[in-house]
Amino acid sequence: MSTRTFHATGQRLVRQLRRTHSSCGPRHYTTDSPVGLPDPAAYCRDLVRKHDYDSFLVAQFYPKPKQDAYFAIKAFSVELALVPDTVSNTVIGQMRMQFWRDAVKGIGAGRPPKHPIALALYQASETANLPPYHFKRIVDARDAELQAPSHLTVDTLTSHAESTSSTVLYLLLSLLGLPSSTLAHAASHLGVAHTFSTLLRALPYHAKKGQMVIPAEITAKHSVNQEEVFRRGPNAPGIDDAVFEFATVANDHLITARDMFKSDGMGGLVPPATLPVFLSAVPTANYLGRLEKANFNAFEPGLQLRDWKLPWQLWRSYYRRKF
Amino acid sequence: MSLARARLATRFAPRLFPTARTTSVASTLIARRLISTSPCSHAHHAHAHPTAPPKLESHLEERMKDIEHLQMEGFRGAPQDWEKGPSALDKAVHLFFFTEIIRGMWIVLENFFRPPYTIMYPFEKGPLSPRFRGEHALRRYPSGEERCIACKLCEAICPAQAITIESEAREDGSRKTTKYDIDMTKCIYCGFCQEACPVDAIVETQNQEFSVETREELLYNKEKLLSNGDRAEAEIAANLHADHVYR
Repeated sequence: MSTRTFHATGQRLVRQLRRTHSSCGPRHYTTDSPVGLPDPAAYCRDLVRKHDYDSFLVAQFYPKPKQDAYFAIKAFSVELALVPDTVSNTVIGQMRMQFWRDAVKGIGAGRPPKHPIALALYQASETANLPPYHFKRIVDARDAELQAPSHLTVDTLTSHAESTSSTVLYLLLSLLGLPSSTLAHAASHLGVAHTFSTLLRALPYHAKKGQMVIPAEITAKHSVNQEEVFRRGPNAPGIDDAVFEFATVANDHLITARDMFKSDGMGGLVPPATLPVFLSAVPTANYLGRLEKANFNAFEPGLQLRDWKLPWQLWRSYYRRKF
Repeated sequence: MSLARARLATRFAPRLFPTARTTSVASTLIARRLISTSPCSHAHHAHAHPTAPPKLESHLEERMKDIEHLQMEGFRGAPQDWEKGPSALDKAVHLFFFTEIIRGMWIVLENFFRPPYTIMYPFEKGPLSPRFRGEHALRRYPSGEERCIACKLCEAICPAQAITIESEAREDGSRKTTKYDIDMTKCIYCGFCQEACPVDAIVETQNQEFSVETREELLYNKEKLLSNGDRAEAEIAANLHADHVYR
């Protein structure tokens, strides 16, 4: 058979294939996966991969049976963090927060709403002891954030970070069944560093929307005019100094979290069982390092991209039991 | 010095010091004229005083010269002779109309070589924002199950009260809607329903072409909304993805 006839046969096959595909039924779905209510864990995994890729990478270091619960907790956190971006009105955001408050209550009572994340959390809470108090604390903090998105002092922002990121880490610690005051203390500092670096990373986005994420205390010290930041971005006078000071606060928290492991006879090494929880410090440290290289210009476009070295850094950190 | 004051001075100056030959009669006349506001109406009084006829002169030419000079200084510049040369109408016809026509035709010629601005509407369409709010749709999960959990937040937030929901509990404990109606004639397309939805079930698609012939066809029910969602699912997912941000 010559090449030409072969080619023509191939084309006919493709045409037939297209015809059968276009007439496969009245309803077209993007995929035929069971993602959704039958498989809430897959829904949570997709959500985390799409919105929080760093956490998706960290998930690989959790023990396999715990991964679904990990994704459920992270998806819950992502879902709540996305609410302020999707609503145009505080009241609508509060209604959604009320839905999640009711959902947390329902999960505790064994009646979760038919939301994939709520179902996944319900499954997770059956396998591990996840205190509903922590979930409620996250919802309350996000609710408060809706009404006052910018902070005056570093202290209020720190307490907000402790109620969101740190609380997620507490939940992950209790997911692994390791309640310990030292670990919780380290996790609290780590969560603060994580929130601060996330805010710095999202600084151009928030500035575009007319919101200042650096506390007014710091911006006032360096006489940064907020309007200038919104209009001129990196060229605003004093913004580099403010970013530097804010990043320094984040880095201090990270160092404090590392120092927790030097005491208590751990010799600076993270206990293997808790290692996955503290691996979430690696993306934070990675971002802060890149920010330093960019000379604390948070508007540098390269900082918005994922670092290709991150998976390697995570594995090395896992191997050396340090973060 | 402003123009008005200059003109005032030129008007009064020849009256106050008309000539060197002023007599006493003339001075009384001047006094009278100063009192009266009219400029100069009774210049000749020869019949009243035949013996000593006062010689009053208007000095109109001098005064006009002054005025003309001032006017030229003020807004003309150098004096021009309008008597010679073509008339204003001739100039307008030759200068303005002709160049206007040439310029207009040049624009036509330019645009002849450019791509057209118009789009052939029903076949070509202009760009739409991913946040465009058009016809409503109810989404499903990739597994095919309805997303809506009948929480009625959209019904509560709807400022136009266009949404009506009735729900029932199912055997597995979930709640589903038995009726989900949107009155599209009431809807104001504010997008609050899709913002309030905790499961991203109700969305506003980018479809803006859903004109119908009767009013009843604009009262959408659940089947219509679900079929809208099935039709636009890929588009909706792409728009949601385009809009997401890491926070």
